[in-house]
Amino acid sequence: MPKPILEVHQLRKHFSRRRGLLSAFNRRGDTIPAVDGVSFYLRENETMGLVGESGCGKTTVARTILRLTDPTSGRIEFDGRDITHLTDSELRPLRKDMQMIFQDLDAGLNPKMRVSDILKEAITVHERVSDAEVGIKARLLLDQVNLKYSKLSSYPAELSGGEKRRVGIARVLAVGARLIVADEPTSALDVSIQAQVVNLLRDLQQQLGLSYLFISHDLQVVELMSDKVAVMYLGKIVEMGLTGRVASAARHPYTYILWSSLVEKQNREATQTGHHERRAAWGVFDYERPFRGCRFAPRCPVYEKRGRPAECTDPANEPQLRDVGGGHQVACHFPLGS
Amino acid sequence: MKTYIQTSAEITDYSRLPLHKRFAVPDLLYVGYGLLIVALVLVSYVLGMFNLLPHDPQQINMGLLMAPPGTEGYWLGTDFMGRDIQSRLILGIQAYFLPGLLAVFIALSGGIVLGVLSGYRGGYSETAITYLTNLIDSFPRLVLILLVIAAFKPDIYYIMSVMGITGIPAVANAIAGKIRFLAQKNYIESARALGLRTRVIILKHILWYNCRALLIIQATLGMGEAILLETSLSYLGFGVQEPTPSWGNMVQSGANYFMQGNFWPSTAPALAILFTILGFNLLGDGLNNILEGKRGR
Amino acid sequence: MMAQPLLKIDNLRTYFYSRSKQSFVRSVDGVSLEVGQGETVGVVGESGSGKSITAMSVMGLISGGPGVIGGSIHYASARVQRNLLQGLENFVQVEESNGRVMAVRKDERGWQKASEKLLQGMRGKEIAMIFQNPRAALNPYISVGEQISEAVQLHGGTRNHKEAREQAIHWLERVRIDSPRLRYNAYPSGMSGGMCQRAMIAMALSSAPSLLIADEPTTGLDATIQSKIVDLLEELKAATGISTLLISHDISVITRLSDRVAVLYGGAVVEYGPARQVLGGDYSSKHPYTAALLASVPNAQKIRDRSHLQAIEGEVLDTINVPPGCRFFARCNQITPQIRDKCAAIHPPLQDMAPGHQVRCWRFVEGK
Repeated sequence: MPKPILEVHQLRKHFSRRRGLLSAFNRRGDTIPAVDGVSFYLRENETMGLVGESGCGKTTVARTILRLTDPTSGRIEFDGRDITHLTDSELRPLRKDMQMIFQDLDAGLNPKMRVSDILKEAITVHERVSDAEVGIKARLLLDQVNLKYSKLSSYPAELSGGEKRRVGIARVLAVGARLIVADEPTSALDVSIQAQVVNLLRDLQQQLGLSYLFISHDLQVVELMSDKVAVMYLGKIVEMGLTGRVASAARHPYTYILWSSLVEKQNREATQTGHHERRAAWGVFDYERPFRGCRFAPRCPVYEKRGRPAECTDPANEPQLRDVGGGHQVACHFPLGS
Repeated sequence: MKTYIQTSAEITDYSRLPLHKRFAVPDLLYVGYGLLIVALVLVSYVLGMFNLLPHDPQQINMGLLMAPPGTEGYWLGTDFMGRDIQSRLILGIQAYFLPGLLAVFIALSGGIVLGVLSGYRGGYSETAITYLTNLIDSFPRLVLILLVIAAFKPDIYYIMSVMGITGIPAVANAIAGKIRFLAQKNYIESARALGLRTRVIILKHILWYNCRALLIIQATLGMGEAILLETSLSYLGFGVQEPTPSWGNMVQSGANYFMQGNFWPSTAPALAILFTILGFNLLGDGLNNILEGKRGR
Repeated sequence: MMAQPLLKIDNLRTYFYSRSKQSFVRSVDGVSLEVGQGETVGVVGESGSGKSITAMSVMGLISGGPGVIGGSIHYASARVQRNLLQGLENFVQVEESNGRVMAVRKDERGWQKASEKLLQGMRGKEIAMIFQNPRAALNPYISVGEQISEAVQLHGGTRNHKEAREQAIHWLERVRIDSPRLRYNAYPSGMSGGMCQRAMIAMALSSAPSLLIADEPTTGLDATIQSKIVDLLEELKAATGISTLLISHDISVITRLSDRVAVLYGGAVVEYGPARQVLGGDYSSKHPYTAALLASVPNAQKIRDRSHLQAIEGEVLDTINVPPGCRFFARCNQITPQIRDKCAAIHPPLQDMAPGHQVRCWRFVEGK
């Protein structure tokens, strides 16, 4: 069994809402818990999918892992080394190994730089390389992401969405990353291009032995890419396990709704059976609501069906992730199918 | 009736198109005119510096008082003391050129430092800088200048320093806004994730690639403003003092004779002011449209 | 199907002009399609296929020149029958060479004026539209209920303020917004994206239009919300019998809601027909683009096998340099040596495959 390349323990990130000059004296300022105690690990050459609706904190998890923003508490270990409190200059050599693909296609592609300059910058950021070698390496990278050499002289504005994404991937590979955090890498692309990028990412993983933390709201793409999947809801992981089991035998009501909505959208027949959950997903997120007990309870069909049991809203008894067999973990007092 | 014409069936390399097809014609005219004016000012400044003038600008020629434009040897005529207007116009550039550059330098360098601090660091430094720039903005510039004149002496360099400092907020806000825009598009974050040093990110990615157009534009507009201020103050008698020529005091001294039909001693410097400031402003405007792609698609 | 379709778009062309590239962007280049009474027609395509621009052209919402330069849009409901582009061709002169538009002269003010006259009483009342980003389409400073009752008053439901309010509340209820009386006073900023879309739908339908144009109604919403919006649209369609022009890049949404489907590629319809035949059924009788598009979407089978997705190679068509032949030529994987030259040189016509099912591909043209 390969060793974990990334381990995250009880990661928390609270955003402050304090604003203005005088707020410095106001210590009581309220905070938004974007990530509220997330733990997981990722093995080498493995892909972990992270799914959830917008605003559930999945992007914040990604940014915190890469230390683009500092965690409020918790521990992040990369290759067995605690990187939670490293300074910027201590982090810099580590950036060689861990990289991020941003949702925005233009991220990292300075509009005033040609593709060759963008790649050159990435190739030379961590090591001294002669110009001739840069040229060779840039071509190699373009080969890896299936782009024509003629694109080297293009500006980002002259590239299509799919090409921009490929250059973005090439830029990340140029550094020599082993762990890639991909934040919605396909959501800005057309369906046919999406498939190209998914295939490319999977090929690269096989060739280079990469590890991915794959964040997406597109459940099908996540299913296709990932070995494991974690489902986040309002800053917490509510279910985690092997992809096939989470997708087909969900234990948390939220996961169940998430995957059944996918099926419901596709075929008419499924709607009839899924009728009782219909009302569930309407609520508005309210971060200011003090979390009392299970945070999914207000939208939970099981909670309604069981006659609003007291455990679910007991402030001292928020459901924690627990194993339900075979590494499949779920945070629910009344998991489905038990 | 609007006409749209496609020049060829197949276009692949857009950068090979002639300039007037890639950019709007008015913008090119603006920039062309602006560059002409800047070149004229530069050449005249150098001529004035080495005293390469058609006549001695201070020499009083009692035999040629109020010679009209076109008089032989005196292309723009002479003023009420018979001094050559053309030479005085050229020398007048000395009055605003270096001080104007000083003002622009202060505004840009201060603006860059504060803008980067505010946009890149964010948090409390952003708040503090916002308050500081608002504070500077809320002082009437002219009152501040008069205060400085009263407290020290009517020196153009003091005045232009004040002008530079009051120009800082505009530059700082523009740069901070640009940085915030870049941050929003994840440019900065992805540069950090790549492992680039902060210094490289700020100098190369932010300032060089994304703010250079903005800085050039701010510089040209700032220079235009500085000229306007210097000439206004000299006109009012706070700036450069007679007999040293400045376009402002030339307009002022010539104005007394305007009604007597001797319009040229004040009209010539007035037109010089008009065309020069117009040149700098149009240059900034045209560059803004061309470099930042504001016009057309 | 009825003899007279509600909306009949014929050879619509909407161009834009790229100043920096000195050439036309052929966003919509000869689109023809029909929406019958009570029918939902799905328009599916990738970005740049011209699907949204088609809808905007119908609504007369194109800004930027030259815009619509030709075609006809026949609209025929019980109340209004007219060609929304009637007589507008007088304001445009198009110069073509080799079948390519090389120059357009357009009297834009004259066109605007005449077009406004033709569209009078159409927008909102006869044809309602819902957009991709509902929060941006709602006024943030007016409560949602207020906006709906305003629409009710504007489009002649009633002039009475109280009655309009009751109708608005009724509509909020019909789009399944919880406690509509309370929500009447809610502002868009206080509502989730899904709720805003529901409110938009309520507003669109409150004037009892004959045609609803839904432009990417589920895009950008969360997965669970998307399926609810689709449910709602289906339910409302059954209840009101409204005709819908549904535009989406999401094939699952199109599959679920449409009776007929038009597949757009590079500003032209490449396949048009009953939803079952276009999106399901036999791959061999489809346009190569449709077939490839369907194959590139992950489905349960592919996920189980962890197999590669069948991507369509190449990039989405650049609508500036539209090739003279088939627009899909560069990415097509079904070109045979016999038809290769034709594919490269001549734009294929729409060919009838079965009654009501047309495909634009040389493979299916007789006597190739």
